[in-house]
Amino acid sequence: MEVPDRNFKVVVIGGSAGSFLVVSKILSQLDPEFPLPLVLCLHRLKHVRSGLVEGLNMKSKIPVVEPYDKDKLKPGVAMLAPSNYHLFVEFDSSVSLSTEEVHNHSRPSIDHAFSSAAYSFREKTMGIILTGANKDGAKGMKSIHDKKGYTIVQKPSTCDVDAMPQSALKLFEPDQVLAPEDIVKVLNGLAGL
Amino acid sequence: MTYKEYLHVLKEHSPYDFSEYSDNSIFRRIQKVMRDHQISLEELGARTQADKLFVEEVVEAITVNTTELFRDPEVWRFLLEKHLPSYRSNNFINIWHAGCSTGQEVYSLLILFNELGLLDKVRVFATDISQKALEIAKKGAYKHQLDRGCIENFDEVFNNHSGRSVNFSKYFDVDEKKDEISVKPILKKNVKFIRHDLVKKELPFYNKMDFVFCRNVLIYFNIKLQTRIVQRFFDSLYANGTLVLGAHEGLSGFFKTKFDRQGPVYKKSNVFHFRY
Repeated sequence: MEVPDRNFKVVVIGGSAGSFLVVSKILSQLDPEFPLPLVLCLHRLKHVRSGLVEGLNMKSKIPVVEPYDKDKLKPGVAMLAPSNYHLFVEFDSSVSLSTEEVHNHSRPSIDHAFSSAAYSFREKTMGIILTGANKDGAKGMKSIHDKKGYTIVQKPSTCDVDAMPQSALKLFEPDQVLAPEDIVKVLNGLAGL
Repeated sequence: MTYKEYLHVLKEHSPYDFSEYSDNSIFRRIQKVMRDHQISLEELGARTQADKLFVEEVVEAITVNTTELFRDPEVWRFLLEKHLPSYRSNNFINIWHAGCSTGQEVYSLLILFNELGLLDKVRVFATDISQKALEIAKKGAYKHQLDRGCIENFDEVFNNHSGRSVNFSKYFDVDEKKDEISVKPILKKNVKFIRHDLVKKELPFYNKMDFVFCRNVLIYFNIKLQTRIVQRFFDSLYANGTLVLGAHEGLSGFFKTKFDRQGPVYKKSNVFHFRY
């Protein structure tokens, strides 16, 4: 496991089925002084909108917030894509929300979050795809990879449902394939902005 | 050619100005147009300069028309139970529904007013940039809705809480074979659908408004444009008027002091603020 020596501008994490526990675990072991903005794009049930942000906040070492449109990314704060909206990372480090068509049956779509970050911050983007039962996120991870960003795929053998990591692995070769505890180690080794 | 340059071409050769839309989503929408027509950005630019009908097609494709009945049920429940009843003493209630798209939320609002016995007092000016969306809105017939949670949303507003009980069929004819719902005529009599581009200064009416509804529209604009449009909303509202935005849209900077937040809505503030 290596820690990339690079000044990232954002870390984007995507996941669906089973990812709540993994994300929760990662957040609970994160350095409280985590120096970068974190974006979380998790598939969630449309009508179960309350509870996820509270649930994540219970264990997280850094605050987890559901942003309002055009809120700015902040180092040491995790932004959770709100239910029923897509989230785009913009050039000026703000996030735009959108109610555009569902993508891969999902809103928020992980592809959109990943690709927008890649488009805005190119090699200064880190994308992490976790366990999930859908192919959403694979193309977005590839666009981070194509823009020379850094990509980490959760090790399929550690996934509840490995469809999402597997479809990413089919599209490109990520920088690392890691178990959740090693993902945490990478994150805690990252330098600030 | 860059996307920004294309938006400049579009601005120069058509009545449409998308240059202050949020970068990432507008660029993605343009990419979609390029994919659908199998053309490069240069070709898109050339056709935009030459072909007016094509421009209309592009505008339809890059504007976002997704909407649903009673999106965010808790907002509509708040309006029904806490906010709208205070308008009982009004002689009339003027509403501007800005960026109404295909009209589902226009009818959602009219249903609330009808449930409160206030429908006859209401005049709605519903505006949108998309002619196609407005035509659907006027018809009030929506396809493929039954699997999209519109009845769940409806029940969440009217039937799952409090003692109220309202049947979906009171307001909609449901054709299960065609997978289509149509709005009953009673909801159509007090609404005018008007084509209007929010980016433009001129408004298509002279009336002052009790309500401005603009839900999940400002999210497509950058902060500068958002601010100009919110100023227009502010100017259109009566003192004490109400602005209703999307669930994750907020007011920034100066406007935080010009509106008071009440639950999910914004009330125009009575306090006079000096501008230094």
